[in-house]
Amino acid sequence: MNKIEDLKNAVIAGKRKDVERLIHEVIAEGIPPKTIVDDGLVAAMAVVGEKFKNNEIFVPEMLVAGRAMKSALVILEPLLVQAGIKPKYKALIGTVEGDLHDIGKNLVAMMLKGANIEMIDLGTNVPASKFMEAAEQHKPHLILLSALLTTTMPAMKATVEAVRNSSFKNVKVMVGGAPITQTFANEIHADGYSEDAAEAVDVALALLNPA
Amino acid sequence: MKRDYYTSLARSGLRMPIGTHLLLHQQEDVGAVLLDGVRLGKVIEETARCFRTPLGMPLMDLALEKEELLTALHIPAEKIDSFHFDTAPSSQPDFSLTPRMQATCEAIRYVAAQQDLLPIGMAIGPFSFMTKLVADPIMPVFTAGTGVTADEDPEVELVEKTLKLVQGVILSYLREQIAAGAKAIVVCEPAANKVYFSPNQLAESYEIFDRYVMAPNREIKDLLESNGVDLIFHDCGELTDDMVQRFGTLDPAILSLGSSRVLWEDARLISKNTVLYGNLPSKHFYSDATITTRKVSSIAMELVKKMNEIDHPFILGSECDVLSVPKCEATIREKVDAFMSCDCGSIHSLKVA
Repeated sequence: MNKIEDLKNAVIAGKRKDVERLIHEVIAEGIPPKTIVDDGLVAAMAVVGEKFKNNEIFVPEMLVAGRAMKSALVILEPLLVQAGIKPKYKALIGTVEGDLHDIGKNLVAMMLKGANIEMIDLGTNVPASKFMEAAEQHKPHLILLSALLTTTMPAMKATVEAVRNSSFKNVKVMVGGAPITQTFANEIHADGYSEDAAEAVDVALALLNPA
Repeated sequence: MKRDYYTSLARSGLRMPIGTHLLLHQQEDVGAVLLDGVRLGKVIEETARCFRTPLGMPLMDLALEKEELLTALHIPAEKIDSFHFDTAPSSQPDFSLTPRMQATCEAIRYVAAQQDLLPIGMAIGPFSFMTKLVADPIMPVFTAGTGVTADEDPEVELVEKTLKLVQGVILSYLREQIAAGAKAIVVCEPAANKVYFSPNQLAESYEIFDRYVMAPNREIKDLLESNGVDLIFHDCGELTDDMVQRFGTLDPAILSLGSSRVLWEDARLISKNTVLYGNLPSKHFYSDATITTRKVSSIAMELVKKMNEIDHPFILGSECDVLSVPKCEATIREKVDAFMSCDCGSIHSLKVA
């Protein structure tokens, strides 16, 4: 398992070339893909999340680690598909209508992908109707809404309402973004709120696996 | 303007929100106003009079320059908002002011004709502008900070070419606003912050920050100075002390910072020739549950008291432009009025020197 530990550390450090080399090595050693994902990649991103929460690393380092993780997944994906291994949960994410900001959304998507949740990224300026169309198509377990402008917060409320008034009313909805607060999340009847991308993983997993 | 114009305003106890968006959205036909320079100028005038300030603060719209650039590059209008470069054009296209920009310049002319108001223009800062044109700017900025050059990395090359390209747009628009009569310019660099620049990397060297943020902004400062126009520098992002100190070296007349900063501590980082502005948490004014009116007054009073104690020129205000949020207008306005009227200093009527 040393190579798995090396892989994990390389992801944490964001050393993409090392990650790509190590992925091939662990595959060649016959380590099961699920073990590689769980003990190598997901474990690495959990450490990245903790370091971010503790202010040991910042957004750029998170992104570098995320990119390294993604490069590993690209190599691993055919094996995962072949073995019928897929993430247990699926989530939609997007920045709400009228808002073009995406850094927070992209970070959250990356961290949740690192937690082995399948992410469908709808992009920015996403009207409620497009969230609903995507829900129809993908049947997600979780919908995540991002907003950076206070002026687009009504659109966030409208999207939550659209979900609650649809056949997806029991899908969990999480919200986040600079002007968003737990209070606002409660007001619009979102199921969860996270202050940053690292916390988003904890909140998402808690919503998807209630105790 | 002479620098003591601003320090005198500060010492008189002036307080004001960046409030043009609020009053603009009281209009029935906001879209039409934005394209009508005289009407837009009247909104700026009304905002200044409403909040008893001689500073004719423009609307903080940071999308105008992107529209101008991409229009010049023949990108369809409906794609402009979300457009990102795959490769940056290596030559500057021919720019012409968009209708919104023309209206902004006309509004400056209108405000300039009001004898007691200071006409102020606005531009997005070059680094922040670049981030709107590159899909993933954070990674290449970080990579460049490790010493990787544009020749070695196409993403770094894209960032650097885009920075060069946007500078041309900004300088061109600034010249138009100066020609329209702007006596000061607000340069907004909200992306020059700890999200885009890792403090861990900066702890080793600020070279990348200096190269990507400070150098282009110095060029802007030089342009303004050579035209006798003052710089008002705005960055409401999360910053390091060294970032604030560096902004101070641009010698802005006013430095406007976000609510994450402790202004009385930031005062030790910059010259007393620079007025500090801000930094009430106006991004949360929309919600009484998040921040009450009473709390806003309390924060305002503490801010004024502490700034008076350290004797640094200071104008009490909002951390950014106060956006009008549908169905929250009254809540927001109540908090603005609260800090405008709380018992922490007097306001004098002033004439533009």
